Amino acid sequence: MAVMRMGYVHARVTDLAEAKQHYANSLGLYETLAEDGKVYYKGWDEWDHHSVVLEEGGVGVVKFGFKVEYESDIDLIEKRAQDYGLSVERMSKGENPEVSDGIRFISPSEHVFEVYHAQTVIGTEVGTHNPEAFPRHLVGVGVPALDHALILAEDVRTMENMFRTVFDFFPTERVQTDLDDNDAHFIATWMTCNNQIHQIAVLEGPQSKLHHFAFKLGDWTEVGRAADLMSMDDIPIDIGPTRHGITRGQTIYFFDPSGNRNEVFAGGYPAYRDRPVNKWTPDQIAKGIFYHARELNERFTTVHT
Amino acid sequence: MPTVTIHPSGEVIYLEPDETVLSGLYKAGYAYTIGCRRGGCAICKVDCHAGSFHYNRPVADTVITAEEAVDGTCLSCRAVPENDITIELRGENVRLVNPFLRQMNEKARLRAEATAAAERTRRAGTTTKE
Ligand code: FES
Ligand SMILES: [Fe+2]
Repeated sequence: MAVMRMGYVHARVTDLAEAKQHYANSLGLYETLAEDGKVYYKGWDEWDHHSVVLEEGGVGVVKFGFKVEYESDIDLIEKRAQDYGLSVERMSKGENPEVSDGIRFISPSEHVFEVYHAQTVIGTEVGTHNPEAFPRHLVGVGVPALDHALILAEDVRTMENMFRTVFDFFPTERVQTDLDDNDAHFIATWMTCNNQIHQIAVLEGPQSKLHHFAFKLGDWTEVGRAADLMSMDDIPIDIGPTRHGITRGQTIYFFDPSGNRNEVFAGGYPAYRDRPVNKWTPDQIAKGIFYHARELNERFTTVHT
Repeated sequence: MPTVTIHPSGEVIYLEPDETVLSGLYKAGYAYTIGCRRGGCAICKVDCHAGSFHYNRPVADTVITAEEAVDGTCLSCRAVPENDITIELRGENVRLVNPFLRQMNEKARLRAEATAAAERTRRAGTTTKE
């Protein structure tokens, strides 16, 4: 396995002080570094230096980082990306604080992807030596880790091809106009490279845009508690708590203080390369996205940063 | 106590001090197309025809361009009126979804107007005696 996971999301926020309030105090991320108008965070159950980077000025996403297992995987992916027709540049160690050297390219959807093989290891908040089940003094929701992101692209099929060819990802679910993949137009696709139900999803929409990035939670109870905390902290909830038909995950969509959409996501069945892809037809897309309301609010397709 | 007048239907909505246009309209029982409510998604833009407002937070220049900053575009979830303003929605009209909230807002506006009028009278009285 070359790519292990989506390791970081680097997003823009209009007001860093307010963003810190949200990501540190409401969501409970741990700040690991602050410099040059950027703040770096990790969740309590993450061991690498950071999984979220916030940069002051604007909204939306700057880039995504994908972590590979071995240094030699970088060359392999560089080759595959070049063969796929992408122009790849090398990035050196330290260009991103505490991140190794690697490569950078712009996807057909005009998002910036970085691939790296190491980050400074900080360790989880419970450590590895006879660890407790969770840290005793979590703040707010206390999210353990980054989970996945949904991005927008004009051409979903091409993005799925890119993820398959360059990153060796595979789709777990799709919204498509025809059950025959060859005839179908792909409206959205959910992809992963391991047992996690999705790490990146792509929805048809304007280039380079972010729909949301999501944090992991354990179960319904934790999702419900997160919603209570969002009310206490006056966080605008987009929808939820509810379930996604697609992935079966339990969810809340909400917005950060700059209007970037976040999600907390629990559950989702285990993904396997040989498991047949779940296919949703456009007439059932509402149930696929919001399993209980069975109605697609207009914000789902029109609101992004 | 700024008010928002909605063109062309002419509804007048009362806002608390420092309240945004979006928050005021929703609290008064109206709905229209909105998204993040935090100034990021650009979907809540309306046109401001009269009066002035400021933004209560920095707004990204991808959301409000330099041109839009001066052409009367009003990002309603971040816009706080400085005086009575008149707005017009783009491609839709506000929908009254909660008449009960509308009534409460109307009463709040009438109370605020009565208080202001009484204050003016009191001041005028004081001036005459001097
Ligand atoms: S509702 Fe998103 S910018 Fe106003
Ligand atoms: Fe999601």
